[in-house]
Amino acid sequence: MYVRSRRRPMGSAMSPLLARSLFVALYVLYPAGCILQLGPDAGDTSPIASIVGLLMVAASFLAFAVLAGSSFQRQAQEPDSKLDERELAQRNRAAYRAFAVFAGLVALGLLYMSLRADFADRILLWAPTEQAHWNALFWGAIMLGLSLPAAFLAWENEPPLED
Amino acid sequence: MGVHNRISVFRAERGLSRKELAEAVGVNPQTIGYLERGDYAPSVELALKIAQVFGAPVEMLFSLKPFASLAQTISSKGES
Repeated sequence: MYVRSRRRPMGSAMSPLLARSLFVALYVLYPAGCILQLGPDAGDTSPIASIVGLLMVAASFLAFAVLAGSSFQRQAQEPDSKLDERELAQRNRAAYRAFAVFAGLVALGLLYMSLRADFADRILLWAPTEQAHWNALFWGAIMLGLSLPAAFLAWENEPPLED
Repeated sequence: MGVHNRISVFRAERGLSRKELAEAVGVNPQTIGYLERGDYAPSVELALKIAQVFGAPVEMLFSLKPFASLAQTISSKGES
């Protein structure tokens, strides 16, 4: 998802370091916030943990929103005709890596659910049961799927040279 | 084996900025930076376009072997 602004059609210029920090914040804060809010011990902990969890999720959405207008997201999401050959080559590499990571995570998730079903009588493993759990997983997968190619680009890109 | 180039030397000689060269060949200015740093090897099409902008043969701009530095070139010419 790339949000184009009229003022900056090429995406907001962001240093790779800032973009990397925002991606790390997104990928750490969202799952941590969801665990604090909805995890297995969510009901037992104090309401402060729940509020902190909510704030962490909100911060991760904010990071996602800032990144949605960045030049990295532009490179990841623009049609081919709007990118040059170097941008396309980088984008193709990033998309391939993102697909591999996403598919790997889906496979791990399926493995976890399968193990949980197999050993349900011996080990008690957490699983999503409520609507809120599935909702958190759904939005996490959406954000990850939409941002992962741009994250790989942020790690590959070097800061532009000064003239 | 990478592709070496003298884009920055030619660009400085012609007084072109990266943005101007990028506009002339239809790429993002950052791509010129990647080329100059040697982080990206251009397609034949892009190499020919860049050579055309400078009005020089493509082999003067791009080579599979590292180019001699300007100081080395001048000193070797002085000796000969």
